[in-house]
Amino acid sequence: MAIIKVPVAPSSSMNQDRVVSGLLKSQILHLQEAELRLPAKYQTNIYIHSIRTERDAGEYIRQVTEAIHSAHASRLRLIKKRKPTPTFEIAAAAAEPRDTRTKKAPAKKKKKGRK
Amino acid sequence: MPPPGLDNLKHIVVLMMENRSFDHMLGALKAKDSRIDGLTGTETNPDTTTAAAPVLPAAEFQSQLDPDPDHHFPAVNLQIFNGGTTPTMQGFVKSYFNQRQDVAHSQKIMYYFTPEKLPVLSTLATEFAVFNRWFSSIPGPTICNRAFAHYGTSFGKVAMDLFYVNEPFKSIYNRLIDANPKHTAKLYYFDETSSTMEIVNLLQHQPELFGTYKDFMDGCKKGQLPDYCFIEPNYNDHDGDDGEQLASDQHPDHNIQAGESFIASVYQAIKNNANLWKSTALLVVYDEHGGIYDHVPPPPCTPDGFVASANDTGIGAEFKFDRLGVRVPAILISPWVPKGTVVDGRIFEHASIPATVTEHFIGAYDQRSPREKQAETFLDLLTSPTQRTDCPDFQDE
Repeated sequence: MAIIKVPVAPSSSMNQDRVVSGLLKSQILHLQEAELRLPAKYQTNIYIHSIRTERDAGEYIRQVTEAIHSAHASRLRLIKKRKPTPTFEIAAAAAEPRDTRTKKAPAKKKKKGRK
Repeated sequence: MPPPGLDNLKHIVVLMMENRSFDHMLGALKAKDSRIDGLTGTETNPDTTTAAAPVLPAAEFQSQLDPDPDHHFPAVNLQIFNGGTTPTMQGFVKSYFNQRQDVAHSQKIMYYFTPEKLPVLSTLATEFAVFNRWFSSIPGPTICNRAFAHYGTSFGKVAMDLFYVNEPFKSIYNRLIDANPKHTAKLYYFDETSSTMEIVNLLQHQPELFGTYKDFMDGCKKGQLPDYCFIEPNYNDHDGDDGEQLASDQHPDHNIQAGESFIASVYQAIKNNANLWKSTALLVVYDEHGGIYDHVPPPPCTPDGFVASANDTGIGAEFKFDRLGVRVPAILISPWVPKGTVVDGRIFEHASIPATVTEHFIGAYDQRSPREKQAETFLDLLTSPTQRTDCPDFQDE
C-alpha cells in the first residue's frame, strides 16, 4: 500500500487582509438576506458595505451563521414549551409537591441615552 | 444481482471544491495515460495580438491568477465561443485580458499543473475513476452551479444572485429525510466562520441539516455518517479554534496545496475506518472552471424547463439551459472502483449528484427537473468483484 506524502501549504500563504472575492461578497449578501429575516435581537447590525477583507468577511459570516442557529434553537425550545400537556401528565403533575422556590426576575436592561 | 460494491454501499459523500478546470488540474495526466482526455501540449488560444498563447506546465499554487479570472455568464460565453457561434474554446486569453489589459498576464490562464505538484488529486485520479466528461451545469459562476448539485436545477438562475426553491423540486436532503423509509443527510461546512454557500434556502430554513467539518471527522471515527454527506471546503483565511485556518477551497487566489491537504484529509478520514471505507463512495468534484482554460467544448444538454432572460445572461440573448458549462475535475473513490478507471463516452454534470443519490437511496422519484431525470448516474462504476486492498494512504510531509 503506497503512502503518498502531501506537502503542507506554507503559513506565509495565510492572508486575512486579502480583499474579499466575488464569491465571498455573494455569500455575504445571501447571509444578509437571511439575517434581515431574523428577529431583531439576533441581527448583527454590521454594515456589510464596510467589509473589505477576508478577516472582516469571516467575522460577519460567523456571527450570522451562529445567529441563524441560535434563533432556530430558541424557536424550537419555544415550540416544545408550548406543546399542550396530555391530560394524564397533568394529573400526574398535580400529585407532585409544588415548587415553592422564589424565582428570580430577569434583570432589566439599562436604558441608554437621556433620562 | 448488484455488484458487491453497490450491495455494500451505505454512504455517498460528495466534496465540492472551487473554480478549477479539468485541464488545469488533471490535463497533464494524458502524458501518463492516453485514455485521459487531457492536454497534448499543443493547445493554444489567440491573445489580443493574435499570437498563439500555448498551454504550459507553469501553474503556481498561489498569486498567479490575480485578479480572479472572470467566470460570469458573459465571460464564459466569450471563453467558449470567442465571439462566434461555434464552441471553439478559443476565447480564454481574450477574456482574461479584459480584466488587466496585460497581454503577458492574460496568457497565464492557459497554465496547468503537473501531477507532481498535485500528488493528492493526481493519485486519486489514477488510482480510482476519473471522468473524462464531467461538466459544470451552467456556463457561469458558483452559486447556480452548486444549486444543480443540491436541487438538480438552478431554478432559472445563471449568476450569483439569490434564488428560491420552487416546488415541486425539493433539495436532495429533503427528499431523503422525507422518504419512506427515512434516510439521513447532512451538509458539512468547514466551520461557522466559513459557513456555507447554500444559505437562502437551506441554512436559513433548515439549519439542522448542517454540521461542521469537525462533526464529519467525528462521524467518520465513530462510523456514524449520514447516508448522504455533502462537504464544503473552507472559503476564507481565518483564525479558528485550532489556530490559523487556511482557505482550502482552491478558489483563486487561495493556496492550492491547502486544498490538496483538505481532499486528503476527507479521503483519509473515511479510509481510516474500515467499516466506513468498504461502505462509502466519495466523489471529489469542482463546482465550475473559474475562467481557466479547458480544451473540450461543453455539449448541448436537455433543457431544464427554465429560461434565463437576455437581461440576466448579460449577452443580449436568453439562455434555455440547453448547454453545459466548462469541464471540471471529477473523481469517484471507493475500494470497489477498479484501479485506473477512466470514464469515457458518457456525459456527467452536477445534476448527476442528486440523480445518483436519489436512485440509490429512494428509487423511482418523479418530482425532479428534466435535466436531473436525464442525468447520468455513476454508481455502476463500483464494479470490482472484490474489495481492493491496494488503495493509497496520504500523510502530511
